[in-house]
Amino acid sequence: MSFMIGLLAAVTFAVLAPALQLMARAREWKFGPVMLLAIAAIVTHGLGVMLGIFVVPQFQYWDAASIFGFCVMGYVFAFGAVYKSVSLDILLGVVDRPERRAPLSEIVEQQVPALFQGRIGNLVDGGLVEPADSHFTATAAGRTMASRVGQLRRAFGIGDTSLYDFSD
Amino acid sequence: MNMLPGPAQAAAIGLSVVLPLLLLCYARIAATGGSGRRFRLGCVSIIALYAIACIALPGQRHFDDVLGGLFLLATAMMFCYILFSLLAWGFTLTLLTALVKAGRPLTLEQWTVAYMQGGDLGTFTHNRLKLLVGAGMVITADGRLAPTAKGVAVARLVKLVRLSTGLG
Repeated sequence: MSFMIGLLAAVTFAVLAPALQLMARAREWKFGPVMLLAIAAIVTHGLGVMLGIFVVPQFQYWDAASIFGFCVMGYVFAFGAVYKSVSLDILLGVVDRPERRAPLSEIVEQQVPALFQGRIGNLVDGGLVEPADSHFTATAAGRTMASRVGQLRRAFGIGDTSLYDFSD
Repeated sequence: MNMLPGPAQAAAIGLSVVLPLLLLCYARIAATGGSGRRFRLGCVSIIALYAIACIALPGQRHFDDVLGGLFLLATAMMFCYILFSLLAWGFTLTLLTALVKAGRPLTLEQWTVAYMQGGDLGTFTHNRLKLLVGAGMVITADGRLAPTAKGVAVARLVKLVRLSTGLG
């Protein structure tokens, strides 16, 4: 029964999370998508625990938390995969064309530079990079974050190209 | 309400904490290969340790306890993978680290070259396309890109996930 409570809380999360994303866009809230997911997870987890305490005589917290965590993380995983994937953006760009074909040169010269500019826009909006004339400079916050990322990458033995290693 | 995890669940919680530490250790062993292979190795090691814990722990195992433990382990693996993949293949993060590494203001074109470490947008595009081609989602012929039936199905699924997660 505790598993069912966890599952019910996860279903509530799957309803609340997109509703929050839509409301945030419509009302121009300042919260980012990841923050909204965290808020939805905390609220629905709290509701699930309260429901479990009132409905199940011997409520097992970790049974409910385990299935809730699994479903929510699966949701976040799927969300992250479709949110800003360059490969999927390229795929959607081709599929959405009426002729369902695109010259490679057009993808290299138009779509990918547009993706670069979009991500640079995110860095500027996030206060990590500032534009000056036609140049871009990292802010103090950007340098701090880059330094932390570099430390983590070195610790975990990760390269700094972000390219997929297909021999891997 | 019982807040205490079962023995298998407690083992899973402990192993969830061990996973990033194991990845740190594997990073120091060259034979463990690249980032992706190392992560898979970490997950397999954790699952094997969980199986050993389920057999070796004293007392009778309960199905709920083992199932909850598996959910907890899977949650930890997905959480770690989300962070690990951001570090390893994160496009926006690498843009930032490339700018900071350059140590001076860069134009958009210079930034692109710094990001690609001497390569160009074509190299980046082909790297991301390799993923789509390798997964059988697109084919390239005569300098043009076309989706396969699988690619169209994936694109529809991506749109569905975007719609149902509130990303539009």
